[in-house]
Parts: sequence; C-alpha cells; structure tokens
Amino acid sequence: MASQDGKKPILRARGVSKHYGGVVALETVDLDLHEGEVLAVVGDNGAGKSTLIKALTGAIPKTSGTIEMDGHEVQINSPTDAKAAGIETVYQDLALVNELSITKNMFLGRELIRNDILGRLFGTLDFPKMDAEIRALFQKLDIRIADIYREAEAFSGGQRQAVALAKTVMFGKRIAILDEPTAALGVRESKMAMDLVRSLKDHGLSVIMITHNMQHVMNYCDRVMVLRLGRLAAVRDVKDVDGDTLVGLITGASEDKAA
Amino acid sequence: MTDMTQNSSTQFSTPSADGSSFAVLKHQFLQIWQVLAALVLIYLVFFTLSEPFRSLDTLLSIFGQASILAILACGTTVVLISGGLDLSVGSIFAVVGVIVGIALAEYQLPVVVAVLIGLLAGAAMGALNGTIQVFTKVPAFIVTLGGLTAYKGIAEILASGRDLSRFPDSFQMLGSGYLVPMLIMFGVALVTGLFLTKTQLGNHAFAIGGNEEVARLSGVNVRKSRIYYYMLGGVLAATAAILEVSKLNFAMPARGQSYELFAIAAVVIGGTSLFGGRGGVGKTLIGMLIMQTIIVGLSYLGVGTSVQRIAIGIIIIVAVYWDVWRRPSR
Ligand SMILES: Nc1ncnc2c1ncn2[C@@H]1O[C@H](COP(=O)(O)OP(=O)(O)OP(=O)(O)O)[C@@H](O)[C@H]1O
Ligand SMILES: [Mg+2]
Repeated sequence: MASQDGKKPILRARGVSKHYGGVVALETVDLDLHEGEVLAVVGDNGAGKSTLIKALTGAIPKTSGTIEMDGHEVQINSPTDAKAAGIETVYQDLALVNELSITKNMFLGRELIRNDILGRLFGTLDFPKMDAEIRALFQKLDIRIADIYREAEAFSGGQRQAVALAKTVMFGKRIAILDEPTAALGVRESKMAMDLVRSLKDHGLSVIMITHNMQHVMNYCDRVMVLRLGRLAAVRDVKDVDGDTLVGLITGASEDKAA
Repeated sequence: MTDMTQNSSTQFSTPSADGSSFAVLKHQFLQIWQVLAALVLIYLVFFTLSEPFRSLDTLLSIFGQASILAILACGTTVVLISGGLDLSVGSIFAVVGVIVGIALAEYQLPVVVAVLIGLLAGAAMGALNGTIQVFTKVPAFIVTLGGLTAYKGIAEILASGRDLSRFPDSFQMLGSGYLVPMLIMFGVALVTGLFLTKTQLGNHAFAIGGNEEVARLSGVNVRKSRIYYYMLGGVLAATAAILEVSKLNFAMPARGQSYELFAIAAVVIGGTSLFGGRGGVGKTLIGMLIMQTIIVGLSYLGVGTSVQRIAIGIIIIVAVYWDVWRRPSR
C-alpha cells in the first residue's frame, strides 16, 4: 500500500467511521499524510471534514478505524494522546478561550510551572517565562500582538487565528492539523494565516488543512482529498487538478474512485 | 469591555517586562474600581443619613458580620468561575458545625483535631457533589439541590438528642470578636486569590468556566479539576462553619440556612460572572461588604429585615443584569 512516489506516510488512517446514532457522519475513510507535505481536505458543508480530524485526534471517539504513525499502530483516544504523539490541532471554532489572556491560551494545558519550591508544591506558574517565549515566537513569526496579557476576545479574527496557529508552531512536533484556518478572515488576514501554515511546513511539520478555498489548495497544498457525504470521494496530487475539477469532485458532478 | 480599539493595535513591539505586569495591575484595577466605588458610595449614603452609623464600631461590625459569609463565598467564587454551582454549601456548613460540636462537646477531642475533622468532612461533601456531577452529567443545579436537602437531613440526624454547646475556651477564641474572623477572612481571600491567579489548577478554573470544550481539547483534565473546585468550596464552607460554631458557642443543624444564596449574591454583586470564566475573590469581598453595609445601614435607619431582603433581591437582579449586559455578544 506504499504510495506511488515511494514516500512513506507519517500518519496513516484506515477505515475511520463515525456514526451518531443512525447518522453516518463518516464512513470508512482512509487517509495518508506524507512526511513534510501539506494535505488539503475539502468537501461541502457537512461532508465530514471536521468529524474526520476530530476522530483522528481523539477529540471524539471513533466508531471504527485504525491509526498508524511511522508504520506502527497507535491508540489515540484523547486530545492528550494526540499531543503526546506530536500532533497539534486547531479545531474549528474551538481554538481559544475568550476569557483567557493570549499567554494563558497559548499555554493552556501545558503551562510552565516555576522551577522552585512554589512550583513543585502548588503548581505555581512561571508567567515571565511564558510571556518571554511567546514574545520571542511572535517576533519570529512576525505576529504583531503586543498585549499578550489581554483576553483573547479583545482581538480580531485574524489575530486570534494567528495565535492559534502560533500555538501549533510552538508545540507541534510532527503533525499540525488545521480546521479552516482562514474561515471568516479578510484577504490580508487570510494571507497572513496561510503564510503561517507555510512556516509550519518550513518548521518540518506535516500539515493537514481543511479549507473551502480552492485557491489556497492550489497555492499552498501538495495533495488534496475530497470528502462527500462522509465518504472519501477522491485523492489527487494538486499539480494534477485544477479548481474546476475539484469543485466537480466536491459536488459529485464528476465521479472518481479513491486512490 | 472598555476600549476595544486601543488593544488591537498592531504595533510590533516588545514592551519592557515590568511594563506588562504594570498593565496587568491596571487592568485588574479597572475591573474592580466600579464595585469599589459602589461600596464607598453606599457607605457614604448611610454615613450621611444616620448619625449612629458613623462610628468605627459600626464599620468593624460590618466587617465582622461579613467575614464568616465571605469565607464561604470565596469557595463559591471559585466554583462559579469554573462554570459550576454549589447550592449545598449552606447544608455542608450545618453538617460541619454539628460534627465539630460533637467532636468537642461529646468526645472532648483536642481543638486541632476537631477542626481538622470538620475541614475534612467539608472537603468530602464538596468532592462528593463534584464527583456525582462530572460522572453522571446531572446538572450542577440538581445535584447540589439534592445535596442541600440531603446534607441538611444528615446534620439533623447527627444532632438529634445531643447538647452541642459549651466548648473549650481555646476553641471560642477563633470566632469571638471581630478581629480574628476578619483576619481569617483576609487570609482565606488572599490564599484563594493566589490559588486562582498563580497556580495551574486555579487558572484552569477560568479556562473550564470560559469554554469547557476548548479546555478539554487543550488537554485539561476537566473532571478532576472540577472535583477539586467543589472540594475547595466544601473546605471553605467548613472553615466558615467552624468560626460560627466558635462564635456562638453552640452548634445546631438549622445554621447555614440560605448561606449559599447570600454567598452567590455577594459573588455576583462583586462582579464575578454567573456564566463562568471571569471573576475573583477581591470582587467577592467587596460584594459581601456591599451587602452587609446595606443590611447594617438599613437597620440603623429602622428598616426591618423583610425590606432588607427585598433590597438585596433587587440588587442581585441588577448585578446579574449588569453581568449579562457587559458580556460581549458573539
Ligand atoms: N454531535 C453530532 N451529532 C450528530 N450529528 C453530528 C454531530 N456532529 C456532526 N454531525 C453530523 O456529521 C456530519 C459531518 O459534520 P462535520 O462537522 O464533520 O462537517 P464538515 O465537513 O466539517 O462541515 P463544515 O464545512 O460546515 O465545517 C454532518 O451531517 C453533521 O450534521
Ligand atoms: Mg467543519
């Protein structure tokens, strides 16, 4: 089952299904993510894109399916398992807590504890260190947010998305999964977000990106998989397709058997 | 909630390290000054209207009366910030009062041991509330409403046929006068405040109350954390109960009645969100002082307890309205 160009998949999912009672949100979907690539996942609203990445990352229990990393089967049953495996995810509409500062959002669940008696006894947080790491990262990524102690709700959609992407840069060790990173963003902010996606790749991460924007698929992605009504409709190299073909595959106007 | 334009500035900068912590302080002060101003204003109104209200003794008695409820309300603050609710703390208060009374009056246990037993009992009852909730997913309102009557029943069973009074002098010192309870109140508020702002578990209360799903997806152990918050609420209800038993020099299961409602009222008046994710114990202290000032002030003006209750009720609604109104709609 090695892919045609001989690159070995870093992540390989087989037969992933998710049923909500009688509702079939996802039916036996296969996914291969190759080392260092950006894989686009496209499909109409309700096609099962978010469900697929939630099932892959342990955010929801899957009905069936197996996941391999580097050729070995892994059990990913919770978001914590996924993070431990080096997978960082930005979930659709669930990236940041509005009430928390940028610093607290960036480190939520992985806060830096002070390296002293207070830290060991009470889990006292090392805010200066967290602030410093974020400022350094933002500078490196050219994210222009100075007020990192302000609550996330005080920032624009583009800034919030930039923070969510920066989080994957900071913690992502192997794979970044992004659910519609440019949803509801303006032209300029979309470009900023996509530049961050590219820098994820430059940092050596393999990326899965859900998007409705065919231009982004063409410009930033290596391969694309199309979901339709919870099933895998097609997998293509981006260089082999154009926007019109993709739209045809998404709507079902042109049929294709999955590779 | 104030200036949305200034903060979304996109200047690329690395402000000096102390600059940011100063900004945090300023931010916190801005959040608290409105309730603080309300407290001062209310105090001044009664100060003008009532001659006897002007004494230092009155001021101290406001603090004194606030202190026991304020300790309990610190726990309520944490639970509400985490998006939870505990209606049973008044009954936990009653059970702990009775248990400590039995330990002292019937078994003549050393004061330290009796106090520890009381705190442990509070922790256990709080943890039970939290555990039932996170594992059954029955809403907090229902679980703790059940706790409210069930714990009350336990307190009555434990107390029946017993004379729980006349405790050792060393125990009576704890809650007598204004000073010791007030100091304990400030101590509890300080520790709880540090817990909320400086520790990982405390910070997670804001995250869980703000958006439980994001917290879960970020790897926060939501269930375990929630149980700890209810446990803390139970411990602080127990602390308050121990002080009151000491102050009154007797214990009875009827004590603590409606305390959960007064605590919630103080928390909300202070500006902690009923919807979770925002708030702090400093606000709760101010909220409790506002409530007590009004109660004491009205009674100095000869207004009866029934009218005082009506006044508090109206203030609670106004405070929640304010909370709803300032929430950004998204
Ligand atoms: N909790 C749930 N209970 C029942 N059905 C659900 C649930 N979550 C998702 N679904 C269903 O699963 C299907 C796939 O949903 P999903 O969110 O994965 O779509 P999507 O491809 O991400 O769409 P969009 O582009 O709008 O984000 C939809 O039909 C949806 O109604
Ligand atoms: Mg989706």
